[in-house]
Amino acid sequence: MIMNARAWVVWVGAAMVATMVAQNPLYSLTILMAALVVSQNFGRQDNGFRLPIGRISLFVVAFSAVYTALFVHEGTTILFELPDWPLIGGAITLEALVEGASNGLVLVALLAIFAALNAIVPVSELVRLVPGALHDLGVVILVAVTYVPETRRQLTRIRQAQEIRGHQLSGVRDWQPIVVPLLVGGLERSMRLAETMVARGYGATTHKNSSTGERLLLVLGLVAALTGWLLVLWLGWPGWLLLASGLLAVVVILVRRGRAIRRTRYRVEVWSRRDILLVTVAIVALLAVLVPWSWVDQSSLAYSPFQTVSLPPYDLFIGLALASLALPAFLATRKG
Amino acid sequence: MMQRTSSVAIYVLATVAGLIAFTYPLFLGVVTAADPFDAAGSTVTPIGGTALLTSLLLLIGLGALLIEVQGQAVNAKVLAAMGLLVAIASVLRFLETAIPGPGGFSPVFVPIILAGYVYGARFGFLMGTMTMITSALITGGIGPWLPYQMIAAGWVGMSAGWLPHPDRRRLELALLTGFAIFWGLFFGFILNLYFWPFIAGEVKLATTDSAGLPGIFARYGAFYLTTSLVWDIARGLGNGLMMLAIGIPAVKALSRFRDRLRFEIV
Repeated sequence: MIMNARAWVVWVGAAMVATMVAQNPLYSLTILMAALVVSQNFGRQDNGFRLPIGRISLFVVAFSAVYTALFVHEGTTILFELPDWPLIGGAITLEALVEGASNGLVLVALLAIFAALNAIVPVSELVRLVPGALHDLGVVILVAVTYVPETRRQLTRIRQAQEIRGHQLSGVRDWQPIVVPLLVGGLERSMRLAETMVARGYGATTHKNSSTGERLLLVLGLVAALTGWLLVLWLGWPGWLLLASGLLAVVVILVRRGRAIRRTRYRVEVWSRRDILLVTVAIVALLAVLVPWSWVDQSSLAYSPFQTVSLPPYDLFIGLALASLALPAFLATRKG
Repeated sequence: MMQRTSSVAIYVLATVAGLIAFTYPLFLGVVTAADPFDAAGSTVTPIGGTALLTSLLLLIGLGALLIEVQGQAVNAKVLAAMGLLVAIASVLRFLETAIPGPGGFSPVFVPIILAGYVYGARFGFLMGTMTMITSALITGGIGPWLPYQMIAAGWVGMSAGWLPHPDRRRLELALLTGFAIFWGLFFGFILNLYFWPFIAGEVKLATTDSAGLPGIFARYGAFYLTTSLVWDIARGLGNGLMMLAIGIPAVKALSRFRDRLRFEIV
């Protein structure tokens, strides 16, 4: 069964926003677990390259803890004192270690969420997500992805051909007789590909330049986004509105242009029950962390071990909402 | 005229958005001088909030640039050539096993720089962004850092298009090699800025105790030294060596195709 890439993107986006908003190690752990469960259950086996998530996580958390401990000398639980070295000298505190580790945990949770996306959704489906307005760039990506295996084979063929002529790869200079034929061969093939594209009518109808109005909208959107970003730092939420209007400008242009370009699809997108479930849990998790519900302890969204380290607060409602990100793995049919 | 002005405005604004998105950790601590050790009631936006905000800004900038760059009608030949070149660059990126080179070496910038140098800044920008997205797709490297990689690699190709094109081959080779070494080093330096706030946390960025900007630079310096300097030196040298080896013949080969790319029957 084909995964609906859009539903997964919604799920990943929601999980990412939740991770970044709920900066509390217990919530980070909850999301991390959910992401691992989901990628365990849906991940394809044929994916050649996988990030060694376990090892990376340990490294990130450890590094972040040590780094913070060396540079932040606040907190009351002093583990030991470093002599008066430049930059890092001073008291090494448990609080700083905990702070660093919980920061590292956020990054690890993000890694796990995207590892799930990479493991679950096939490349072909991801390429289809390129907005219609950027159709030409989608074609470039599609051509590139399609020709990667062929290019790899070509590389092997060139190396073999050069080896027959007594060529050996030992130094830097030996790259030249391999890479240059690869470039020339690739460009020759691209000319043939372009001819076949034109022969099938590619580019026959869609030659249009962007209108001045669209460009002005784009400029305005950028200005709004920039000022919005600055305003958030000083004024808070009004800045978010400006930033959102900048995003809106880009989206409006993408949609308008996308309408002008007609694309036909070989396979129609379907929304199965699992996709609806995915989107639902994503929205639930988002609402739980973004909306200040009266029955939710908002302060649990932030955690600071200073001045004295304590157990992070845990709000059951938020915790459950975040854990529900893993629900699709249990309710939907296994390996579809 | 109007067209040209708005186009320049889009380029400049989007580049500024990108620059802010990369460098905000360096000046954030200076502009927001709240004491993060105040147990509660701190007004500083939590780190996740700022990172999210900045990613949004970068996405808007990248989207605007892509819309603008792509709007300048491209023909099938340019698309196909770019696709094939991106495929080659993506293959070269993971060549460590096939071609012996120094550790952490991936000559991914050589094709991007060459394409930008020969075919111009716009082609170079697209080539950089497309190479990053394609290699992320084929290796499962999609993540929130991808837009950052895309825009930085786009800058590599774009700036290569702005290089002077000297007639003397030796000078040209020296220029390209130096450029490859520079970007090999600098790319790592700016991309690390993305990860730094996560590792260091808002507390580190906003502490006021160590004299503002110099203190922040010193800390980022320490972070950079311990995490990536060795890799970046290897990558810089690797790209430089690769450029030294293939630079001139590759420029010649690409130049031969330049006229064919432009040729079009209307």
